[in-house]
Amino acid sequence: MSEPIIETRNLTKEFLRDEFHVVALKDVTLEIPQGEFVTLMGPSGSGKSTLLHLIAAMDRPTGGEIRVLGHNLRELTDREIAHWRNENVGFIFQQFNLLPVLTALENVELPLKLTHLNKAERLEHAATALNLVGLGDRLGHFPRQLSGGQEQRVAIARAIVTDPALILADEPTGNLDAASAQEVLTILSKLNKDFGKTIVMVTHDPHAAHFATRVHHLEKGELMPDAA
Amino acid sequence: MRFLPLILRNSWRNRRRTLLTIASIGVSMCLLGVMIALYSAFWLSKPQDNQALRLVVRNRVSLAVFLPLAYRQQIEKIPGVRIATPATWFGGTYKDAREARNNFARFSVEPEKLFPLFAEWSIPEDQKQAFIHERTACVIGRDLANAFNFHLGDRIPLQGDIFPGNFEFTVRGIFDSPSNSNLMYFNKEYIDQAMPERRRGFVDTFYILIDAPEHSARVANAIDAQFRNSTGATKTESEQAFVVGFLSMLGDVRMFLVWISAAVMFTILLVSANTMAMSVRERVREVGVLKTLGFTPGTILFLILGEAVAISIAGGAIGYLISTVLLKGVQRSPMGGFLPSLHVVDPVIAAVCLALAALIGLLSSLVPALGASRAPIVEALRSTD
Repeated sequence: MSEPIIETRNLTKEFLRDEFHVVALKDVTLEIPQGEFVTLMGPSGSGKSTLLHLIAAMDRPTGGEIRVLGHNLRELTDREIAHWRNENVGFIFQQFNLLPVLTALENVELPLKLTHLNKAERLEHAATALNLVGLGDRLGHFPRQLSGGQEQRVAIARAIVTDPALILADEPTGNLDAASAQEVLTILSKLNKDFGKTIVMVTHDPHAAHFATRVHHLEKGELMPDAA
Repeated sequence: MRFLPLILRNSWRNRRRTLLTIASIGVSMCLLGVMIALYSAFWLSKPQDNQALRLVVRNRVSLAVFLPLAYRQQIEKIPGVRIATPATWFGGTYKDAREARNNFARFSVEPEKLFPLFAEWSIPEDQKQAFIHERTACVIGRDLANAFNFHLGDRIPLQGDIFPGNFEFTVRGIFDSPSNSNLMYFNKEYIDQAMPERRRGFVDTFYILIDAPEHSARVANAIDAQFRNSTGATKTESEQAFVVGFLSMLGDVRMFLVWISAAVMFTILLVSANTMAMSVRERVREVGVLKTLGFTPGTILFLILGEAVAISIAGGAIGYLISTVLLKGVQRSPMGGFLPSLHVVDPVIAAVCLALAALIGLLSSLVPALGASRAPIVEALRSTD
């Protein structure tokens, strides 16, 4: 078994919402080896997205430990985390979240603007990423000129353009029809198998889970023991 | 620079709102540009070479109180004085006084002293001689000639009020001036002879030409000291200060300009702040996305501030350009003859306008930009626009 790329120990996330104390994640201990395609499944409010956000350091845990790619995320400053995320994590949203004022190529180029690459290099990398997801002929299209499936493929290209070791996807097929969802899942599977990317995907869709090498179930903020 | 395209694209995202914001900032900055140019012309500009050599003597009580013409002999004896010559505001009516352009400035003067006094004006020698030798002759500035299509030989009728009577002047010369020349000058003798005996021998002001600019304070003090204990005490000041003093008859114009400018700035700051707050609020989710991609709070802050500054500078630049057109109009208007030389295109004023516009953009977006840059990613992504 490969070295764990993600390790959590008693990971807990609690917060106050409208004076109610909410335990979003409770004592989650988990190891995800490098090169795995893991899905996190569970009903709404089970803590799947919260766990994904904590892995991406988009949120801070209130308890426990979390190490991702060898970094103890609790020890990093906000600025260090931003740089770490840019270099190591690609994130795919359910709602694509492309910037409407930018073309497909410019959207994919966006994370590279934080690197030391010059403009020609950035555009070359972005075009390569778009070719990889089969959108080499849509470089100059704006998001409004693309279908939902194509938008999500642009979002995948944006997530992989910095060549991150870890790709996190939050219900990436949730807003897509069956055909588009199949395309997206095929691409993610290819990224895992052909390029060795570690993928953690939150999904409700049992069909999507079939693409994964491992499935974890969460309920009421807890990791189900049978899946651990 | 690598974020400039993103800043510009975001600025142009809601075109109608951006255009309206640019227009509102443009109108305000135009007004501000005119105010700054007037303020600068009145209180900050240095006199031109010839202007620095001219002083104006008037009655200390008021411009409306005349001085004895006999003062001239005593003034001429003061060291440093090269020319001392009377110039009297005529007033009067040309055709219909209700029409603003008919109220151009007109003065009675000594014709032979006028052009040595205003050495920066140019006029053909034969026209100058005709003005000097013909009692009912007048000379007019090029701006005035153009405005009324006056030509040599045309007659200009004026109905006097301060100096009652009907006067008719023949245009014998048209002079060119580097500043506004909506001006008319005619022979003092012509007016005096139409006045009763008791009205003669008094003048509104004396224009003094001195030998060197550095002597102006000494000469001014000497003239005022000369008449301090007489019935008509004098106030001698530079031509520039005299023009400002003339304007101050309207009230505290300086404070007026400052307060209007401040009010304009404050109003546009509120308008701009409202627009920027709206713009940022609509894009909280995008801020969350950018942060997910690795953008730091500092970069987010820079992007939002940059967008506001870009819009404001566009408005400032357009406003400044319009202000130069307005100033050109003011300069050429009949009122322009009462104003000091205006610098229609002044790089310093342009820079001030753009800097103020940038400041407005910065201040108006600072609070929403700080809020967005500090927003937790998860909260930002939860925003539903």
